[in-house]
Amino acid sequence: MSLYKIKTLDELKRHLNAAMQLEHATIPLYLTALYSIVPGTNREGFHIVRAVAVEEMLHLTLVCNLLNAVGGHPDLSAPGFTPNYPAYLPDGEEDFAAGLQRFSPDAIETFLKIERPASLKPHESNKRLRKRKGALLSAGHTDAAEEEHFFSIGEFYKAVEMGLDDLYAEMGDALFCGDPALQVGPEYYYSGGGGLLTVTDMTSAKKALDLIAEQGEGITGHIFDEDGEIAHYYRFQQLVLGRFYREGDLHNHPTGGEVEVDWNAVYPIKPNAKISDFPEGSEVRAAAESFNAIYAQYLALLTRAFNGEPNLLIDAVGDMFRLKELTYQLMRQPIGDGSEFNAAPTFEINLA
Amino acid sequence: MTVQAIDRFSIDADEAASTVFDAVIIGSGVSGALIAKSLAAQGLKVLVVEAGSGNDITVSDYEENVFRFYGAASKDNNSAYYNAKNAPMPRDFETVRLRDGQINDHGYLVQKGPFEIDSTYTRVLGGTTRHWEGKALRMLPDDFRMHSLFGHGRDWPISYETLEPYYRQAEAELGVSGDVEDQLYGGLTFGEEGYVLPMHKMPASYLDQVLARDIDGMTVDVADQSFSLKVRTTPQARNGIPNKAYAGGKGFVPNGAVSVDQAEMGGRCQGNTNCVPICPVQAKYDARRTLMLAIATGNVKLLARSVASKVLVDSASGEITGIEVKTYQDPDQPGFTARVFRARTYVLAANAVENARLMLASGLPGQNDLMGRNLMDHGYLLTWALMPEPIGVMRGPVCTSGIEDLRTGNYRSNMAAVRFSIHNDGWGWATGGPYSDLYDAVDRQNLFGAELRQGLIDTVARQVLIDCMIEIPADPGNRVTVDSRYTDQLGNMRPVISFEIPQYTLETVAFSRGLTKQLYQRAGAQDHSSYDPMAPGWVTHNGEGYVVRGGNHWAGTHLMGESPKDSVVNDRQQSWEHANLYLAGAGSMPTIGTANTTLTLAAICLRTAEDIAARLVAPTAASALGA
Repeated sequence: MSLYKIKTLDELKRHLNAAMQLEHATIPLYLTALYSIVPGTNREGFHIVRAVAVEEMLHLTLVCNLLNAVGGHPDLSAPGFTPNYPAYLPDGEEDFAAGLQRFSPDAIETFLKIERPASLKPHESNKRLRKRKGALLSAGHTDAAEEEHFFSIGEFYKAVEMGLDDLYAEMGDALFCGDPALQVGPEYYYSGGGGLLTVTDMTSAKKALDLIAEQGEGITGHIFDEDGEIAHYYRFQQLVLGRFYREGDLHNHPTGGEVEVDWNAVYPIKPNAKISDFPEGSEVRAAAESFNAIYAQYLALLTRAFNGEPNLLIDAVGDMFRLKELTYQLMRQPIGDGSEFNAAPTFEINLA
Repeated sequence: MTVQAIDRFSIDADEAASTVFDAVIIGSGVSGALIAKSLAAQGLKVLVVEAGSGNDITVSDYEENVFRFYGAASKDNNSAYYNAKNAPMPRDFETVRLRDGQINDHGYLVQKGPFEIDSTYTRVLGGTTRHWEGKALRMLPDDFRMHSLFGHGRDWPISYETLEPYYRQAEAELGVSGDVEDQLYGGLTFGEEGYVLPMHKMPASYLDQVLARDIDGMTVDVADQSFSLKVRTTPQARNGIPNKAYAGGKGFVPNGAVSVDQAEMGGRCQGNTNCVPICPVQAKYDARRTLMLAIATGNVKLLARSVASKVLVDSASGEITGIEVKTYQDPDQPGFTARVFRARTYVLAANAVENARLMLASGLPGQNDLMGRNLMDHGYLLTWALMPEPIGVMRGPVCTSGIEDLRTGNYRSNMAAVRFSIHNDGWGWATGGPYSDLYDAVDRQNLFGAELRQGLIDTVARQVLIDCMIEIPADPGNRVTVDSRYTDQLGNMRPVISFEIPQYTLETVAFSRGLTKQLYQRAGAQDHSSYDPMAPGWVTHNGEGYVVRGGNHWAGTHLMGESPKDSVVNDRQQSWEHANLYLAGAGSMPTIGTANTTLTLAAICLRTAEDIAARLVAPTAASALGA
């Protein structure tokens, strides 16, 4: 566990900003793997990755609600908000860098690291973390002067929760000074598991944090949460173990239906592709630039949605379809540089 | 050991045969699933028997159907589903134009005509809700009193008011999206003050809005009445944005995708426009949702690949003593094992055609010979046109709005009721577009490249289709029969259909053609409707020819009434002649008005489930024979 303690409201807001970045940073990773699957193949795999990606969007929204509740202002278009992949995660995990890559054993291994439960922490891991590097995320991140490292996303959120507790003890309900009209309500999201909730007080703030933790790594070490929903870490593990988990299963021993994986039915996309990888004047380059432009617009739209115009989330669905279509266009197309690779979205968005 | 998903709730056929259940339900469609769920909630033990494979409870299974649809050359409404030789399904393309006296036995249905009807149903887990579009309209109060008010068709033994609370239950079970304010016409009432549907309406499409601009306020004079038309959104069982005001402010949590493994949550409608036959994101309700909730109670077992072949009756008491069921292993290979399943109560929920087929094949036409008679469906006249501008075809669910103002009125003394649906899916239903548009552009117009793309935009994007859904009242001559000359691979007799469109309905066919011409004129659209005399469904009226299509809304074969003399079941769908037998579903409906049958049959089945539970939740419970 990190020794870092959140002591002021500004620090809490900075951490929540980092949390937004963190939740968002996982989405390009998951979407890249998801859409690299040739449609119609890897059906179980497709939906496992998709379910996690969608829940990361939920978590992002929950964090925005938290930030709004304590008087912050979510900004998804800030320079550096979207990482330049491969990147270390914005919570300071530094034993691995997460990269954009096709649906593959390597990708799943990375996803498992992202979603790893705190309880799986190896003894020495947090002592061996390397120092932050300049290329890491910076926008709205935790104070650069004070090094913070968390082994897992769960630890990071634990620190946020403790900070929330301390500040609440100090400030009482004044902590939740945000405009309730900025909250995005459950009508904008639903799933088989927990839904979206508005944050207006300590109880709802804790609920939101619990939901993120439970859906993510299953902080309690359980495979399924109270609502019977399976945590992300275990969702991904099913791809490695080749079987679905059922309620009552032991860790590493799923006994449900088969999860068939065909690592070959995947577009051979270039990992961590950059615009500069695509020949100048080529159609793939134009499509990749168009993708980035639309993605930037999309983040700007989300920013407005999280600042008092939640209805725009409906419009954003149309953008998501355009992005999906462009992604497929890119991934089906060889780069044309003589390599074996197909193109892919680069997510070079508002780079710092 | 690997556990197949279905193994978790299926039951070994021999074990099922040695158990006395509280209820055996034939059919896993919406009627059977709703009754199973209600009974299971009371702790009653239920066996659901399904003719199809039943293996459709994971997201992977589901997507196999989605991709079968994508790959199908003919996108008919059963094209998403495997058509097993041991449980064959009717397919619309099997319908042919019949010459006088000709019989068409090429498909599963044997059509004797004289009117050949291209309606189908789906024999898979979840039944025909697997291909339905999802429109969830209520019937109008007048529809329940057709005979008294208009002298046509029949009266129901219950009123709209009696059924109203069950409509609300059905809207919750199916998850209906819609705005009540758009449904306040034709005498419709919605129970308590301030009632809202579980989810907000599917937004009206751009096409709807363009047409509304030209159509709203148009007046139509029919008989002695004047009607002002208005384009209204259509309620539908499709997941949308939950209404916070539902249930007095409690809101509504939509039921998402069916998947026993946790792989997919299901989406809200995202406008893929292939609701029929299959929604790629499971936004559309199908009965598997209800069935899985029923099974989750632990009180319901499923026996799939099993076709009911005979209802066994004690001749002295008239009570049902068992149902013989043929279970097959391979969907196509010949061979089956017949077993008899026993229960305290039997429910046939295999749809209007199959319920009647099974009873007749069991030698049970009823003392009044009404079993299978009064077969109903909606007659559909399709009309299509090109709008002056592209109007965003192929977005949204198949239909988001319709014109409801003519669903009832004094004119019903002379001609049948009609409602109109505006289609967001172009001319598909009428012409096979957009596929046929592509063939036309390539083969006949020799277009390619950019011109081909632009050519398709110029045509497909401007397509509008308005369907006219027209009532066909109950007539004892329209019927399902069986004939030992026509059997399926399991040796079960197939349904033989005799059908005729009455003059009462034809009047409205002609009227609707005239009215839609006016609608297109007002919208500045070019009318392209044409009707092929060689096509099945060809009818003439006053020298004009039309093609009338079936609506897949089979109903009326075991209709309910006040007396055993002129009906098959009572108002609880209980057989007059066999006290422990219920015939459930649209077959019990004495009229179907101008509403798709599903919401109403769901309402009557919820009411029936209460009745069955009240009888069964008594001292004795089901027990194993050997126990």
